[in-house]
Formats: sequence, structure tokens, C-alpha cells
Amino acid sequence: MPVTVKTFGTSGEAAAALSSERDARYLGGGTLVMRALNEGDVSVSTIVRATDRALAQLDATGSRITIGAGVTFARVLAERSLGFLHPVAGSIGGPAVRNMGTIGGNLFAPAPFGDFAVALLALDASVAVQGAYGARDMPIEEFLSGRSRQADGLVLSASFQRPLSDDAFRYRKIARVRPKGAAVVTLAVHVPSSGGRAVGVRIALGAMASTPVRAKAAERTLEGHTLDAASIAAAVAAAADGTAPVDDALASAWYRREVVGVHLRRLLTGQA
Amino acid sequence: MLELRKDLFADERDDDLKEIGKGTQRQDMLGHVTGTSTYFNDHLLQGLLHLKVLRSPHAHARIRRVDTGEAERAPGVRRIIRGADVPRNLNTLLSLINFGKDDEPTLAVDKVRYKGEPIVAVVADSPREASEALAKVRVDYEPLSAVFDVEEALKPGAPVVNETYPKNTFTYHDIYDHQKLRFGDVERAFAGADHVLEQRYQMSPIEHAPTETNGAIAAPDTNGRYVVYTSTQALFFSLDTCAKILDVPSNTFHFIGGTVGGGFGGKVDTLTEPLAILGAMLTGRPVRYIFGREEEMQFGPPRGAERIYLKDGVMRDGRIVARQVRAYFDSGAYTRLSSYAVVKCVAHLPGPYTVPNVHGDVYCVFTNRTPATAMRGFGVTAMDFAIECQMDKLAHLVGMDPMEFRILNAYRDGDMKAHRREAKNTALIECVQVAAEKAKWPLREDYKRMSSRRDGGGDRAAVPPTARDGSVSSRLATQQRTPYDRAPQPAAGPEPPRPAPPPVTPPPAPQPAAHGAMRFSSVFGSRRR
Repeated sequence: MPVTVKTFGTSGEAAAALSSERDARYLGGGTLVMRALNEGDVSVSTIVRATDRALAQLDATGSRITIGAGVTFARVLAERSLGFLHPVAGSIGGPAVRNMGTIGGNLFAPAPFGDFAVALLALDASVAVQGAYGARDMPIEEFLSGRSRQADGLVLSASFQRPLSDDAFRYRKIARVRPKGAAVVTLAVHVPSSGGRAVGVRIALGAMASTPVRAKAAERTLEGHTLDAASIAAAVAAAADGTAPVDDALASAWYRREVVGVHLRRLLTGQA
Repeated sequence: MLELRKDLFADERDDDLKEIGKGTQRQDMLGHVTGTSTYFNDHLLQGLLHLKVLRSPHAHARIRRVDTGEAERAPGVRRIIRGADVPRNLNTLLSLINFGKDDEPTLAVDKVRYKGEPIVAVVADSPREASEALAKVRVDYEPLSAVFDVEEALKPGAPVVNETYPKNTFTYHDIYDHQKLRFGDVERAFAGADHVLEQRYQMSPIEHAPTETNGAIAAPDTNGRYVVYTSTQALFFSLDTCAKILDVPSNTFHFIGGTVGGGFGGKVDTLTEPLAILGAMLTGRPVRYIFGREEEMQFGPPRGAERIYLKDGVMRDGRIVARQVRAYFDSGAYTRLSSYAVVKCVAHLPGPYTVPNVHGDVYCVFTNRTPATAMRGFGVTAMDFAIECQMDKLAHLVGMDPMEFRILNAYRDGDMKAHRREAKNTALIECVQVAAEKAKWPLREDYKRMSSRRDGGGDRAAVPPTARDGSVSSRLATQQRTPYDRAPQPAAGPEPPRPAPPPVTPPPAPQPAAHGAMRFSSVFGSRRR
């Protein structure tokens, strides 16, 4: 059976098509779906597209930032007010992938991909999903943990509070091949501070489980503390708690667990 | 920037080089940079069908049953090809030069021996329909225990990977399970050495990762012939391999190639042409078979992984007095070209150095990994990596500069190599001197003045008494001989007493020296024309 491509003018129609047709997949930038089709993945028989311009909207003027699901990494890189996300967008793929790949698609990228989703997880983003019965916002953590069941919904956008200072959000992707390497481990931390103490700490890890996950044990060791040697050491010790990395061609699960703390320490202490 | 050092050995050479040292534009460069070069995949002929293969998900399994019924009825399917449809479903690449036994099926029949081995081919109207039909093929596997480690594969009781070679090693000269090199007495030299260093080196498989994946398009031509557009690096080698597998005269085929989108050794295995042609024969239509990127990465043959043990004896003054090499080449599940890599490797021992006692044992081992193949100096590159790492460690051990340490031990004209051939045209000393000069690496004056043409030969030309290791292998009745050997040399010195050889079937009469693969030339560059 040949692959059918269906293009809709609104995200609502596209979402309806996704939920009504089995074997339908939404095509954003195509960097995941077209690769699967080219490699002979027969689980996809319908491609759904939407030309809805709302999907490509980007609102980065205020303290609450909203990025449409169809916004590409190249677009993020071109947006000066999103400078704190430039290291994230720039770490993904090469120019061709960044020109096509979208923020919405990245939320579905399997490990070791999905670096932007790691950053969004650290930023406590909420994800707007259009389902068969209307749109709703859900915390990104809930979205990611139920990701395999989200395929019949359409992600519209992700939104999050702008970090209060440039220093509060930090990102690090460890790859063996630069540029364009996939992650051995990806780390994003958001450490807002209030009166010198960390409040609302978020530590997100990529390639440490099938989806980006939070290092909650490490977060707890920092919460309410100043970022000093003792609290950082405790966070480092707890960095791999609750993670479930796998062996792949880039690194073994053992190696990922061993090095994640090392990189967390460097990220928290500002080392290169 | 290329710099020809014509000052070196100037008296040995007529300075009339017409190409070397001169800028020459590659003949295919214009097409490549303007995007107009045609590759095999640009010949998308009318009525083209698409072939895809079902690959084993197991590294080692018996095939109990294959059910293609549903796949045959799938839309767009023109033909299902099984092992029984392949006229000669067993081949080894170097059989064309009479080297090795046929050990690899085009499509697996009773057993799969590596993850990704092809079992069934589907020819369909579109790639999508071929993929959909593949998903409908049912194979009942009985998984077998697999072996992935070269030394584990040689242990008694290891799973037999390839029944053609039940000991999991390639068979040389019909009887030997490895290639040997014996020169002098390493054990005695180790006993007298100031330092002995033994190290283990483990290489990894390396994928060639060509931009253009392996592939071919075959189409019926007039007069019962077939035209084949192919990515092969070895056009006539592939043509003859296809003629053998498909059991037709080689003039049945018109192979068109020449533009290879990256090869590096990864496009000599003739993996796609036989099935593409067979598909065209069975359907009467043009057929394309091209690897996807994942197929290329996962199942395309890589450079083989070698495990190398080096044990060297060195004196305080920097002379290497003994080098013992034990190496295991991981051929994967089938021979392809690893048997030849071993021969090349042994011919290279002990590296470009004059060592009076050399002992080499190199095995071509079968494991349940993706078959390995050629890649850029395979057989020699890895051994050189190990040897040169070892040279640095040895220099450190005796407190010598690593460059000077190499100069001291380098072959010189007139030295005896471990293969009992006189070293000629040697130039390593000059290479190291020039490299040191370019790197602004300080050499002492006496080392700057050393020459490949001086101080060689003499004692260094002697063939040392060489012990036979008769008791090591009951099957190894005589020292291994190669076509290079001159008349049998009487063993120098008293021969150690040996146990009476147990009754074994006599080895077959030596074959005439028709083994093309044995006819390698010296692996070191010649400095003369």
C-alpha cells in the first residue's frame, strides 16, 4: 500500500485525522518520519501535515515564552531574545537538520536524540496538545512519561517562564562526534536562586532513559541550599539515581551512569 | 604540501618522473564538483523493480521453516527469491584466485551465522511494497549459542560458526589453522634480554560509511545478456563472482561502473549484484538492489577487528632482540578477505625493523559477527598500529628517544628479514630523519648521520638457527613453506629430539604455486623505480 499524504489547513483537522486513522504519523520537519520511511518502516501508511500558521508562531517578548510546535531549530537560533536556548538548538544535528527539524518533533525523538526536549523539561515547560476532544495543556514531564500514548494527539506548542538570569539556565551535551554527534548524555539545569539559595531546581537528563528524565534526587540535594561544594557533591552523587540508560553504539549504560555526575559537576561549577 | 626529497638516493634514480610530484587534475573531478557525475543509481530504467532482503535478527540460529506464502500474495510482489533459486548458493570471494573454500551462501538456507544475514529476497514494483512483503515473511528460528570473541571461538566446545571451517579458523595450505613465522629463537632471546614487554592490543571493526551505499541495477539486454550498473570497486572481480554464483559464462554480463561514491574497500564484496541480476533473470525486468543507510552501517562489511599480543625483548642499548606476535583476526561469520589479510600481516612481521629472533602466529577466526572485508591496508594497518605503540613503549622502557629508537632498529640494506629475504631499497631511517626534521624534533648528530645504506648486512644478514616447534602441533609435520621458500634448508644446529609423529592422514600434495593471493609484492615501498 502506498503511503498517503494528507495536508490540512488547521491543526484541529490534522489532530482529528491523527486520532481517526491508525498508522498515521504527523510530519513536522520530517527528520524523524522521512528517515523511518526511507529505511522501510511499514508502520506508517499515512502522513498528516498541517499548514496552520499558528504552529509556526513564536512569542518570546514577555516573561512567558511560547514556541509553536512547527518552529525549527534554525528559527530559534535566529531569535535574539532566545539566546539562552541557542546552545541547545545549535547542538542538534547539522544545518540541514536544524533547518527542518522542529521543536514539536523533538518532543518525540527517541533517545539518544531529543536534546531540545531535555531543555524544555528543565524549564518546566507545559505542552499544548490538540486531541480528538479539544486542546489541553499538560506538564512536559507528564507528556514525556506518556509519550508513547500521545501519538494520536497533535502538539501545538510548548511554553515556559523565561529564566530570571542568563546564569540560571545551563545546558551541556556530551557527544563523541562534533559537530552533529548524538548524545552520550545531555544535561540541562535550571537553578533559580532567591537570596543566594536555589529554589525550584530542575535537572533534566537526556539519553539516560527512553525519554528525557529529571534527576529528582539530585534536585532535592540542591533545593534550598547555596551552590557550594557540599551541595554540589551531594547532587553529583545522586545524579544517576532513577535513570535507566541503555547500551548503544555511542556509550554503554554503565559509562553513561559513570559520567553523568562528572558532567553535572562541571555544569554546576561552571567549568568548561 | 607535497615535497619530493630528490636529494635522498639521488644517485640511484634517473630524475625523469613525469607524474609524481606534479599537479594533476583528477579526471572525474569536474563531474563531481558540478554534480553531473552519474552513479549506478542514476540509471532508473523504465519498469524498474525493487529488491529488498529479509535479514536475520539473530547472530546464530537454525532456520526451521520459512513461510513466504503471505508475502507472495502481497500487492506489487513480482518474485520471492530463496536460497534454492540461486544456482550456486555457496561462494567465497577469493575462490576466483583459488584461495579458500566456498563458505558463504547468497541467501541463507539452513542456518544464519550473523545478525543481518540475508535469507529471503523480495522483488516488487516499489520499495514500499517490497518492505511490506518482507514484513509478511514468517521465519521460524531456533536460536543457537553464538560466539563473538576470537579467543573464545578457538576454545574447545565453542559453537561452530561456519561448518565449512569446523575449527572456527581459516585453513591455510589445506592443513594449517594459522599462518606461522619462525626466525631464530625468541625464548632464548627473551631470557637474555634486559627488558621484556608484553602487551595486548584490541582493534574495533570500522565501517567505511560511503556516501553512496552499496547497490546495483541489473537489466535484461539483447542476446540473453544483462547490463549491470554497479557501485562496485572491483568491476571484473564482481563480474566473475556473479558469473560463478549464477552459473553462467562471464560474457553474459556487461558491467558498467567506474564512478564509486566512496569505497575504501567496502565495495568489493559483491553483495548486491548477484541478487539484482538474479531478480532480472527471474522477472525479465530491470531490478535495483541498494542498501539503506542502516543496512550499510549494520550489515555492510567493516574493517575486521584484530586482537594482537606483542612480546618484545629489548637490550639497554636499545636493540630489539626478539619479537613474538600472536594475533587473531576476526573474520566474522564468513571468510570474504580476512584470510588474505592474515597472509599480508605475517608478511609484514616484525614491522620495518631488523629483529634477529621473530616468532609469529596469526589466526583468521570465524565468529558470529558481521563478516569483515577489505579496508585501506587491512591486515597491516592494525598490526602497524600495535607495533608502533609498542615501539614507543619500548623506547620509554630503555630511556631512548622514540625517533632514535626507530632509526637504531630500522632495516638497512643487506639485513636479513624474518622471511629469509635480504632487505633491499630500505629507506625507513631517511623517512624518520625527514619526519623529525619537519617536526623540529631534535635528533642527536650520530642519528642524523645514519643511513639505510650503511652498517647493514654482516652479522645482520645471518639466518639464525631456528628451532622447529614440532611438538606444538601434531598436524604440523614440517615447517610451513610458502612459494617464496628456496630449496629446503637443513635445520641449522642439532635438531631437538621430537616425539614420533602420530599417524595422521598425509597432507595432500602441495598445490602448484597458482595461489594468486600468495603473490603479494613486498609490502614496503621501493625507493627505486
